[in-house]
Amino acid sequence: MSFAALIVHNVTVRKLRLALTALAVAIGVVTVVSLGVLTHSLETSDLALLKTGHADFTIAQKDVSDLLSSSIDDSTLAHIRSEPGVADVTGVLIGIQRLNAANPQFLEIGISPADLSAFGVTVVAGRPFAASADNELLLGWRAAQNLGLHTGDTLRVAGTTFRVVGIYSTGQALGDAGVMFPLTWFQTYQRQPSQYTLLFVVVTPGASVATVQSRIDRDFPQLATIRTLQQFGRADRSLSLILAADQGATVLAVIIGAIVVMSAMTMSFIERTREFGVLSAIGWTRRRVGIMIMSEALLIGLIGTAGGLGLSVLAVLGVQHLPSLTGILQPVYTSDVFGRALYTAAAMVVLGGLAPAIRAATTRPLEALRHE
Amino acid sequence: MSDMKTQTPRPAGREEPSADESGPPAVEMDSVHKDFDGGVIKALNGLSLRVERGESVAVTGPSGCGKSTMLHLIAALDRPTSGIIRVGGMDLASQKNLPGYRRHHVGLVFQFHDLLPQLTAIQNVEIAMFGTGLNRRQRRDRAQSLLADVELAGMENRPPTKLSGGERQRVAIARALANEPELLLADEPTGSLDQQSVHHVLDMFSRLRAERPGMAMIIVTHDMGVADTADRIIRLSDGRVR
Repeated sequence: MSFAALIVHNVTVRKLRLALTALAVAIGVVTVVSLGVLTHSLETSDLALLKTGHADFTIAQKDVSDLLSSSIDDSTLAHIRSEPGVADVTGVLIGIQRLNAANPQFLEIGISPADLSAFGVTVVAGRPFAASADNELLLGWRAAQNLGLHTGDTLRVAGTTFRVVGIYSTGQALGDAGVMFPLTWFQTYQRQPSQYTLLFVVVTPGASVATVQSRIDRDFPQLATIRTLQQFGRADRSLSLILAADQGATVLAVIIGAIVVMSAMTMSFIERTREFGVLSAIGWTRRRVGIMIMSEALLIGLIGTAGGLGLSVLAVLGVQHLPSLTGILQPVYTSDVFGRALYTAAAMVVLGGLAPAIRAATTRPLEALRHE
Repeated sequence: MSDMKTQTPRPAGREEPSADESGPPAVEMDSVHKDFDGGVIKALNGLSLRVERGESVAVTGPSGCGKSTMLHLIAALDRPTSGIIRVGGMDLASQKNLPGYRRHHVGLVFQFHDLLPQLTAIQNVEIAMFGTGLNRRQRRDRAQSLLADVELAGMENRPPTKLSGGERQRVAIARALANEPELLLADEPTGSLDQQSVHHVLDMFSRLRAERPGMAMIIVTHDMGVADTADRIIRLSDGRVR
């Protein structure tokens, strides 16, 4: 029997301890991975919206509770357009509407047909809507697929019947799952005349994007320029809060998991005190006893992590199919999320297993042998 | 019945035991005191004792006279309050590596065998050889050979719960012999056994003595039948030899 085989044997022979401790680790991993995947997916969806088109950066109102509450008026757009280094600015108004049970968060974008190309929209079938039309729309190809609609069909949105005059593609999953209306009609419909949710800025060739960005940040303190994921929180506080909650949940998962691991390992330690005395009596060093306990904890952690990862995928699948998130959440499994799951599990078992391991290693052999 | 001398590789970390009786004694205790509870209990009270190499000594005496304490001190499971203990001429007080000493020089047999319940008989013997330099196959072969020596061939893969009391004690003896100790210490090895198993274990000890002439044995026992099998009987009373 090798030392590794002894550790595997010791872990698998105590099935109840293995099940309870691995479950605690698995719950921690599920918490971390599920929340991580969900928040990262929301981040990615939002960022995808911001990165739609050929813009160098996006502008939103600063410190709004969520990005769609951003409101920028026409005059501000005009001022930004006249800023040095700015080649073009596209303003869009964005809304979310419940279309039906299958599409509870249907993305609506109001945009001028003249800006479609600059915004990165390609009309793949049919034609663009007319700027002044009040019964025409463009449907994203994903939405068309989901709704089974084609060019020439009609779609009823908010009590009004529209003709699908074209199908578009933006290359972004979220954008392609929505609909585009003529900007003027949509501003009227949303009761936000001359207002935009986001501005998409293209800088002049040769100009420094960072310089233009910081100039706008300085000249328009009520606005936030966004180019990277890190800058996203400047505009959207809700996502920042979700990210903070995610981090808080990770810390809590580690603490709770570590406590459960520690109690399971301590209970097992008390049961096995005499065993440690015997091992010392036959010449095992403290170091070897300690390594055995820690290795057992790490193996349990590994089993819990594997189980937790499997459960996480199921949990995310379940959340993804919640009616309120249908079509919005596209799970993104990144190595970062899995890395965090591993760190979390490792932290749980190291924190939880260290004290019992030290205690087992330092208990005097005779004291352990007298343990009943 | 197999030959008690196993032919598998010897564990590293110690020299070949010698039957040369002109060398230092197997155990030498000089005015050893052991107090507990800050001196309220005096378990050993100036105990002096000499056990020669190859000698078999039975230690008897009433409960609480210090028999087990003496054994624990020789096994370096505890330290004396004062006095000197030498094993094979080596002063235990100057020993830095006590686990190494226990692993290579001493074999311990307890009253209740103290096998690890989650392991099989052969695994219980094998774990005593961790850290001795033997590889997995060598440990396996040696454990198998030792179990054959104590007449447990064919029972290697049984857990302790599937063995009788006598069989468990024989596994414990095989474990104690795993690293070819110079000194075998047994604390009431027959105390929990029925009469038939007692005979079996005693027979085992007799054969051990015959096959391992250099190995000294100290057996703590209440049973005079067991004590009579030793070369010498020492009676302890109030923590010293009477």
